[in-house]
Amino acid sequence: MMKVFKDLSWFFRQEWKSYLKGIFLLFLIAFLQLIPPRIVGETADEMSRGELTIGRLFFWLSLLIGTGLILYIFRYYWRIYIFGSSLKLARQLRKQLYDHFTKMSSAFYQRRRIGDLMAHATNDVQAVQQTAGAGILTLVDSILTGGFVILTMALSIDWRLTIISLLPMPIIALMTNIYGAKLHRRFRKAQEAFSDLNDKTLESISGIKVIKTFGQEKEDIEDFRKQSEDVVLKNIAVAKIDALYDPTISGIVGLSLFLSIGVGAKFVLDGAITIGQLISFNTYLGLLIWPMLAFGMLFNILERGRASYDRIQQLLAEPVDIKDAEDAVMQVPSGDIDFHVDKFTYPNDDEPVLKNIHFYLKKGNTLGIVGKTGSGKTTLIKLLLREFEGYDGAISIGGIPINQYQLKAYRQAFGYVPQDQFLFSTTIRENIAFARPDATDEEIMQAAKIADIHNDILHFAEGYDTVVGERGVSLSGGQKQRISIARALVLNPEILILDDSLSAVDANTEEQILAALKENRAGKTTIISSHRLSAIQHADLILVLQDGTIAESGNHEELMARDGWYRKMYYQQQLESLVERGG
Amino acid sequence: MEEKEITLSSKEQWQVLKRLFSYAKPHRKEFAVALTFLALLTVGEVLGPFLIKVFIDDFIIPRNIDVQMIAILAITFLVVQVTNAFLMYFQGVKFQMIALKIIQQLRVDIFSKVQNLGMVFFDKIPVGSIVSRVTNDTEAIKEMFVSVLAIFLQSGFLLIGTFAAMFFLNPGFALVCLLLLPVIFYIIKTYRRLSSRFYQEIRERLSQLNAKLNESLQGMNIIQIFQQEERMQKEFGAINEKHYQAGMKNIKIDGRLLRPAVDLVQIFSLVILISFFGIVSFQHPIEIGVLFAFVTYLNRLFEPINSVMQQLTFFQQAVVSAARVFKVLDDERVNPEQSVAKVQEIHEGKVEFKNVSFSYDGKQRVLENISFTVHPGQTVALVGQTGSGKSSIINLLMRFYEFQEGDIFIDGRSIREYPIEELRKKIGLVLQDSFMFYGTVKDNIRLHNQEITDEQIREAAQFVQAHTFIEKLPDGYDHKVTERGSTFSSGQRQLIAFARTIVTDPLILVLDEATANIDTETEELIQNALSKMRKGRTTIAIAHRLSTIQDADLILVMHRGRIVERGNHQQLLAKKGLYYKMYLLQNGLAHEIQEAITTN
Repeated sequence: MMKVFKDLSWFFRQEWKSYLKGIFLLFLIAFLQLIPPRIVGETADEMSRGELTIGRLFFWLSLLIGTGLILYIFRYYWRIYIFGSSLKLARQLRKQLYDHFTKMSSAFYQRRRIGDLMAHATNDVQAVQQTAGAGILTLVDSILTGGFVILTMALSIDWRLTIISLLPMPIIALMTNIYGAKLHRRFRKAQEAFSDLNDKTLESISGIKVIKTFGQEKEDIEDFRKQSEDVVLKNIAVAKIDALYDPTISGIVGLSLFLSIGVGAKFVLDGAITIGQLISFNTYLGLLIWPMLAFGMLFNILERGRASYDRIQQLLAEPVDIKDAEDAVMQVPSGDIDFHVDKFTYPNDDEPVLKNIHFYLKKGNTLGIVGKTGSGKTTLIKLLLREFEGYDGAISIGGIPINQYQLKAYRQAFGYVPQDQFLFSTTIRENIAFARPDATDEEIMQAAKIADIHNDILHFAEGYDTVVGERGVSLSGGQKQRISIARALVLNPEILILDDSLSAVDANTEEQILAALKENRAGKTTIISSHRLSAIQHADLILVLQDGTIAESGNHEELMARDGWYRKMYYQQQLESLVERGG
Repeated sequence: MEEKEITLSSKEQWQVLKRLFSYAKPHRKEFAVALTFLALLTVGEVLGPFLIKVFIDDFIIPRNIDVQMIAILAITFLVVQVTNAFLMYFQGVKFQMIALKIIQQLRVDIFSKVQNLGMVFFDKIPVGSIVSRVTNDTEAIKEMFVSVLAIFLQSGFLLIGTFAAMFFLNPGFALVCLLLLPVIFYIIKTYRRLSSRFYQEIRERLSQLNAKLNESLQGMNIIQIFQQEERMQKEFGAINEKHYQAGMKNIKIDGRLLRPAVDLVQIFSLVILISFFGIVSFQHPIEIGVLFAFVTYLNRLFEPINSVMQQLTFFQQAVVSAARVFKVLDDERVNPEQSVAKVQEIHEGKVEFKNVSFSYDGKQRVLENISFTVHPGQTVALVGQTGSGKSSIINLLMRFYEFQEGDIFIDGRSIREYPIEELRKKIGLVLQDSFMFYGTVKDNIRLHNQEITDEQIREAAQFVQAHTFIEKLPDGYDHKVTERGSTFSSGQRQLIAFARTIVTDPLILVLDEATANIDTETEELIQNALSKMRKGRTTIAIAHRLSTIQDADLILVMHRGRIVERGNHQQLLAKKGLYYKMYLLQNGLAHEIQEAITTN
């Protein structure tokens, strides 16, 4: 259980000053808070003996006020030291996770779900933060306050009375423990019922059309009512245990009080203690409730913190899988692309997705890749981008194998427009300038013009400063694609890759973009994958991919001359566009 | 749009609260019981210290050892303690029960409301956000009813009870203690004002942090390919830092105004107590028991205050959630209305569209002047590209949306004049995606209609030829459907959906053919089932595969919301128009395609 503190010891060492100060303050507070009850007891005694003078009263009051103010200040500062440090830990862990995320390759993101990764950076970090904050507090507080109070009661008042009145106290710990186990079980059931209700709601709303079609709204509402009834019942079961805590605590405390007053009264009569001491004693008793509860909570916090910290550590321990070779060159690649891949299989997959892909693309030429979904177009591009490694064969640019370049330098050669048009929820300007934040307005506009999105942007209320995404304007698929293209163009890259990224623009726009690209990218390599042939018709080299292998290749004329897939598809797509236009 | 944080003015907050509390009205009696328990409990709580006071002042100080009286006192004390424990338990449970029932009602209300909203609503609002209104937001409100309300009430009662006892023991001192109240209220008010601001800030920072993280994870390959890792790390670091700062601010506010402040006020209350009794003691001896009682009372006075302050954030959240829930409850995008003069029944099944025009958003028309007639027992097929308006025709016939121009007649009467139940009963729609519900296969055919017998289910399944594969499932008709039926092939799901429709024996059949690929074996089953189902029923079918509707009495070819060609299969082929081209494409007749292109 305490293992988590050991695991976190690096952090405690790093923040040892804050923790030391915080714990020291807690120590002082535990001591100082014993003073007020004592003062009340003393004054009570002096009053009852008629010894209280104005001077004495004044003395006691200033002591009381002084203690109060010091306590206030101390209580404020330990929070800053301990809770503040736990916030620092959270900040640090989040940063570590984020930095780690940016280093992980596509293989990692294929394996892990985003929701799961998010959960690590939010819930788990929070649980660890709790451990480093509230965990330390409850540990220190329950030991210090509890110990101090009991010691004071035993030493300054009467140890016999202390033992007698504390006898019922362990029952609190015992009972709350029993309740805790029960509560946990019932709470889980209630959670399950709630999540069932959630599923039911999700299902009803997803299937709303079916329900409406069969006119079963009333019946479905009745079904929902029943399920929510179940949630109520399970929650009442929780409430029945949950409601036991307060009465138990107050009952046991009442019992303690009863014992201490009863036995204490006898001691007062016997002259063993004074009446004031009895009053102080009872105030001390009240101070013990919190440490008792804190001790119970401590286990919970630590348990959760440990599990979460383990999960975070596991994630951080995942190795970075695409690394530079030791002798990698710090050079931006340029030149002909020589692509030889005999076989490539995705990690954790059995079937190879690429087989015998061999081609040679001259610098400045345009490569077209066509084929059905799943034929391997995107995988080919991913290999070229070094998102995945571990293929049989070799890919080189300008005569140097691509894994001999430093990744940082290597990727500078590429402008990539992915299939799923992902834009960040910021302004259009910042999206286009994503890869070059220092791009001038002219450069941004120039790229937007080539991508044929400039006029669209001018029509938005705030032009280039329009924010995209949920909080701003919602763009059509074609607009997103064209902004993604502009984003890649702003780099004026050696190699531009369009991965099926003209699919959502209409034929005219496609033509204009292709023409503008041709004009602006003379001497630079362009790779276009598409399932629409019109996008690659003018390429110098066209590869027809089928089931991960090259079925046909050549330029448009060559391919049309053969009676193959390409020609068939060409005519079919021509007819399709006719049909789309309504004949 | 729905997920954005709502900021409410204090007047709006008040209105939301008032409306929320109106949900408590049906539970008036239970509330009264719970409050009575609470009142009794408060008396008990106040009585305890009082008994001790009597013990000290009347027995110990005067050294009056009346064993019998002391025993009575002791027993009374114990009885009060035990009764208190029970009262505390029962009122606690009672309050929770009331709260849970209130929430259940609220949930049923919002769920019913959602069920009665028109498809327009579901087009606009994402499913996830609707679900979260029904469950998560109501859960947040539950927090408020369960903890906040109970604690507010308990604290209020305890406060009043304690003061009453103090007045009884020593009115003068109680009066002085009343002065503490404004101080405490001031602290609470300041805390509420500051904390709601800072709490808001930290929540915003957190949601920024999460948004940034989520976005980065989603766009990680873009970030990496464009090598913006360092910049993104910096940006994330900046947001992380701001979140940390906001967290520190919160700790500072809490540290200044929460527990430490209340503890300080508590010390001041002791100061007042001691000076009051000290000054009194200069004139005449005081009752130490009273002093003791006051110390205990003052201690108790501050417990409720601390709990109230801890609940304030929950309270804030609950109000926001409630506002969101009420927004859905007040949504006006309900189902299209029927104007039923008297009960009308559909007997023939003749369907007629007359000059119908329709737009989803009131701007762009998706159907333009659509007219056609389906005579009883006939089949009309709708073909065309995606977005040509085929589905919209079905949506109108099913009354999912209200159309703007023209009219739709069934048996010569406008569909607006039939009760919706009658339309649902007589028109059977088979949807494109065969949605499967949690439950058994049987449940999925019967849905919620308990009048359908197992025998009828079997017959329906046999009719659509689903029986054979259902029989082979483990547990047959009682086979559990998991994960939306993903264990079934899409063809099997279709067959079950057919059975679901056929078991209700509709007069008019509306088919939205599945676009998904179905293996040839099931495909044959499906086609057989379809033609059996169509027999004797008026049928309107959306077809993606032209082969399935070649025997239709009338085929309507749609393009951009208009009917551009109509006729039967042979007539349309002869026309060599749009239908002909679609036919060529689907049959992959390479030679004819090339011909069509070159001659065009």
